[in-house]
Parts: sequence; structure tokens; C-alpha cells
Amino acid sequence: MLEIGASFITAQASAAPGELLNLALNAGTVAPEGVVLVAMIATLLVDLAGEKVAARWVPPICYLGLGTSLILLAFQWNAPLEPSFLGAFLSDKLAIAFRAVVALSTLLSLLISWRYAEQGGHPVGEYAAILLAATLGAMLLCGATDLVSVFVSLETLSVASYLLSGYMKRDARSSEAALKYLLVGSAAAAVFLYGASLLYGISGTTSLQGIGDALLNSPTPLAALSLVFVLATVAFKIAAVPFHQWTPDVYEGSPTPVVAFLSVGSKAAGFALAVRILVGCFGAFDSQWKLLFTVLAVLSMTLGNVVALAQTSMKRMLAYSSIGQAGFVMIGLVCGTEDGFAAMVLYMAAYLFMNLGAFACIILFSIRTGSDRISDYAGLYQKDPLITLGLSLCLLSLGGIPPMFGFFGKIYLFFAGWADKQYLLVIVGLVTSVISIYYYISVIKMMVVKEPYEASEVVKSYPLIQWKTIGLPPLRIALMTCVFVTAVGGILSNPIFQWANNTVLGTPFLQEAIALSGDKLLG
Amino acid sequence: MNIAASTEIICFLILGSIVILGSLGVVLLKNIVYSAFLLGGVFMAVAGLYLLLNASFVAAAQVLVYVGAVNVLILFAIMLVNKKETLKPIKGLQIRKILSGSICLGLLILLIRVDITTPWPLPGPVSIGEQATERIGEHLFTDYLLPFELASVLLLMAMIGAIVLARRDVFSTDIETGNNAGQELIEKSNAPLIIDKTS
Repeated sequence: MLEIGASFITAQASAAPGELLNLALNAGTVAPEGVVLVAMIATLLVDLAGEKVAARWVPPICYLGLGTSLILLAFQWNAPLEPSFLGAFLSDKLAIAFRAVVALSTLLSLLISWRYAEQGGHPVGEYAAILLAATLGAMLLCGATDLVSVFVSLETLSVASYLLSGYMKRDARSSEAALKYLLVGSAAAAVFLYGASLLYGISGTTSLQGIGDALLNSPTPLAALSLVFVLATVAFKIAAVPFHQWTPDVYEGSPTPVVAFLSVGSKAAGFALAVRILVGCFGAFDSQWKLLFTVLAVLSMTLGNVVALAQTSMKRMLAYSSIGQAGFVMIGLVCGTEDGFAAMVLYMAAYLFMNLGAFACIILFSIRTGSDRISDYAGLYQKDPLITLGLSLCLLSLGGIPPMFGFFGKIYLFFAGWADKQYLLVIVGLVTSVISIYYYISVIKMMVVKEPYEASEVVKSYPLIQWKTIGLPPLRIALMTCVFVTAVGGILSNPIFQWANNTVLGTPFLQEAIALSGDKLLG
Repeated sequence: MNIAASTEIICFLILGSIVILGSLGVVLLKNIVYSAFLLGGVFMAVAGLYLLLNASFVAAAQVLVYVGAVNVLILFAIMLVNKKETLKPIKGLQIRKILSGSICLGLLILLIRVDITTPWPLPGPVSIGEQATERIGEHLFTDYLLPFELASVLLLMAMIGAIVLARRDVFSTDIETGNNAGQELIEKSNAPLIIDKTS
């Protein structure tokens, strides 16, 4: 990639404009994003025909677009690796894996959102279009290898997220969430730009690889400062403590399906960015960023899981638990070994299904009852066994109880951490996992153990279960898929282990970093 | 020192002091209209700094975008929301001011320190001057093609979002069942809105 960049710049100095046209863009690698874009435009066009038509045709268009995108990603898996757009984008296996996670999370979020949006009286066409634009930004962010592409795709994702969190505009909580998210997010974007401009000033290039090489040759104090700035933005995106203050309010005020997307898709893109920038670009500051990330991970796991204990609202509890979950994923990033990265990818995949499954259940509950208070779930198993079973399995998996998918993800993370001598992180992770099991189990206890006469008022007046309304069948499909994968994924996890390992093996810049840290250990 | 160099230094000092004093005024003045106009002045002075660096295209873009669009928009917003409102006094404002001031000062000291200790590769690359526009165009259609195209998606989406948020004629019925819908979150609020969020 660097060679291409260098030869390109030399060619540019002398070449006539005509010769520039002969450069190979290799634009086929962004075909999955292209399909998402086409789906977004088709959604907008269909929406012109009126709200009834939109409600009928927008869902299939979105499924088609995201499904095709996932299939195209699968075809890219074994394709030869070549940088596209002259070094602005690289579709290595890590990028493919994270893009698949993002696309899948959008697909599942859309499946669970139709009924929610319609019941609130909201236009679904624009909703889907904005969510698809956010997906486009997040997918490009996963593979961007150039500071300019990183920034533009980050902004596409962020602006779409602000709009989505303020989508319930008659509700003061939603407007508050959007405003908070906008202000904090813009500040984070400004900090990122400042750091990026310093990096460009040091190295004279915007390519991440070029910057990495320049930093390796001359690690200046200025580079350390830009590391702090860039790291702050990354930490904001993955909601690591102490950059988490926006999370609870935004999660509580945003429409629940949007929260589902933000907590999985947006976070996955943030982790992809973290790996690409920190491992690929700040290799020279290996020990510094690992130390900073260790602190962030310990704080996230502790604060996220401890504060979640005190929550009474289900959405808020899942917001704090997602802060804690991000802390677990960071263990894999700090290790910097092959197992560490693979565990990170695996846990992201597990988190996708278990978290979206939990969100599908609480969305179904709030569609039927209009509540998200934890105390209102009391005695639910009598009235709605499906929600009870699904939510219980997903929460047990989030807590890391065997034999769920989440247990294997977590144990792999902890093994990788222990093997890399990150004892502090692993011990904090184990202790906070136990704490998290307590609050997850207390929800399950609320649903299952209560006698019928102890049930909450909401559950006593629970409506008759029916699936006829348009928008509910997709929700049921998403719920069952997530719960099924969460429950069975653990037992059949070997192929997914293989997939995660192959992801790391097929990503050149991760291999370089692993080899480099291996040399350091030996020498 | 020849005349060209000393003129440049004098211009830099004038522009630099306008930027610093102007931005202090933006932050510290009580009247928001003064702040908005001063912000316009600061943007103009920054454009002047770009001109001194021989970057005329960036300077023109700065004037067009920041002074012509952003600042005018800010002034419009101020004029449209011309409501006198006495806000509740915030508790411990003095301590907060001192705290945030000292944080900013610390950041400034850190930046200055880093600036002094970094070995800068001086003199920097030669400015290409008038060819800058051409070079930017080349970049936009070669190695920055992807972000350039993505920016159009970003703008389209922002436009749609702005319309969705601003329009009034939204229907307030559930189109499947025909029930009334409040265009609010489905979860009923269980605490007073905005005010007092202790948990």
C-alpha cells in the first residue's frame, strides 16, 4: 500500500492528467457498500409513493440490500488482497468480518424496528434510509486505511446516529438524547481532527501505514499527544469509561431499535477503527497505548457493571452493561496476540446475537405493554413464555453462563489475556463478570420466580398474544434467530473459532504487529 | 531582514492578535450577538493567515464556508430565537469557571511544551501556491475519491434528516391499526423529563 502511495505521488508530480486515469481503483471491494447505498436510494424513492406503500415495500428492499451485501462480503473472503481507491480502503479479513457484523446488526435492528416505528406513528421510509446510511458509514469505517476516509466515514456514522436518536421528535427524552449526543459527538470529532492534523504534520501523509512508518522512525512527543487525541475519540465511539457519560442518557432517550444498532453496529465499527489505528498506526507507541487501554478497560468493566446494579429501567441497565461488555472486548485488544485479536472478533460476533436478542425481547415487551421498568417484568413467565425464555437465555449469555455462546467468547478472551500475562485485566474481568451475573439473574428471577399474585400490574393486564399485525412476524424471526444462535452457538462454536482465527491470520497488518511484539519478547 | 519578510511578520502579528483577542471575546462576552460578529472576525483573520501561508484556495474556502455560511447561520439562529429569558443561576458557577479555566490552561501549557520539545523539520515543504486548486482536484478524483463520494451520501442523509426533524405534517396514527400515536417513545416515562435525573 505504501509503495503504491509513494509511486503514485512521484507519478503525480510529473504525469499529465491523462495518465492518472489509468490508475487501477479496484473499486469492486466496496461492492457490499454499494448495494447498501442502492438499497438506501431505492428506499427513498419508494417512500415518495406514500406511507402505506412505504410500509409495504421498504422492508423487503432493505432485506434484499443487506442480504446481498452479506453475500458479496462472503465472496470477498477468499479474494486476493489488494488495496482499493489508491490506498483509501483495504478489504482484509478483519474488515470483512467487522463489516459483516455491522451489516448483520443493521439487518436484525431493522427486523425488530418496523412495529416499534409504526406504533409510534413514525415514517418508516426515512428511518430505514438513515439507518442504511449509518450502516454505510460504519462499514466503510471498518476498512478505511486513510485518515480522510476514516474521518468522513466516522462522520457519516455519527451524523446518522444523532438523527436516529432524535427520531421520536415529540418526545423530550429523545430530543435531549439527540442534543447530548450531537454536542459530545461533535467535540469528539473535533478532537479527532486535531489529532489527525498533528499526525499529518508529523508524517506528511494521510495513509495509516505511512504514518505508522513515520512514527516508527521518529517517535516525538507530538506523536504521543496525537495518540491521546485519537484514542479519546476511539474511546468515545466504543463508550469506554471515562468517555461514557453520553451513553446512559442517549440509550434511554433513543428509540429502542436504534439503541440496539448503536450498542452493536456502531460499537463494532469503533473497535475496527481502534484496531486499525492503534495496532496499524501507533505500533511505535505500543506500550503507551496498551497502558492507557488497560486503564480504560479496568474502569469500563468496573463502573459499567457496578452502576448497572442500581438501575430500574431495562434500557438503562443494558446501556451500563454494554459499557462493561466493551471493557471485556478491550482485553483482547490489549493482549495484541493472535489469540487476543481472535477472541475479540469472536466476542463481537457473540455479543451481536446476545445483545440484539435481549433488545428484541424488551422491544416486544414494550410494544405490548408500553413499559421498560425492570419491576414491570415480574411474573412474566405466566403470560408470555417466549419473551421470558428469550430474555433469560440472552441475559445468561451476556453474563457468561455456560453453555451459552457468550460463555465461550468470554472464556476465550480471559484465556488470551492470561496467556499474555494481563493478570490485572483478567482478574477484574472475572470479578465484574460475577457482579454482572447478579444483575442479569435478578431480572430473570423477577420474571420467573414470582407467584401469579405477585405479578406487576402491567403483567396482570397483559394483552392477548397475537402475531398478526404487520411488523410483528419479522420481530419474531429476529428474536428466534438471535436466541437460537445464542443458545446453540456455544455448543457449535468450533467453526466460529476457526472463522475468528482465520480472520486474524488473513489480516497482514495484524500479523506484522504480532510478529513485532513476538520479536520484542524474545529479544 | 528584507521588507517582504518584515511585512510578513507584521501581518502575522496583527492577524494573530486578532485571532486570540477575538476568540477570547467570543467566549467571554455576555451579549451573544457581539460574540457571533466577533466569531466572523476571527474566521476572517484565520483566512488571512492562510493567505500568508500562500494557500489562497483554502483562504477563499474559509471565507465562503465559515464567514458566508456558518456565521450567517449562527446570526440567523440568534435573531430567530430572540427571546429574553432569565435562566436560573447555576450553583457553584465560580468554582466551575475556575476549574474549566485551569483545565484549558493546562492543555495550553501541554501544547506549548510539546511544541517546543518537538524537533520540527524546518523549513517545511515548498508551497505550491496557485497550483493548489489543481492539486486538490487531482486528489479528490484519485486517492481521495472514496471519501469524496461518501461525503455526498453524508450530505444527502443530513438533508433528509433535517427535513424529517423540521417538518410538521407528520401523521399521528399507527398506519397498520389506525390507532392514535403520540410520536413519542413507546416506553412511558417513569421520571420527570429532563429535570432531575439522579440515577
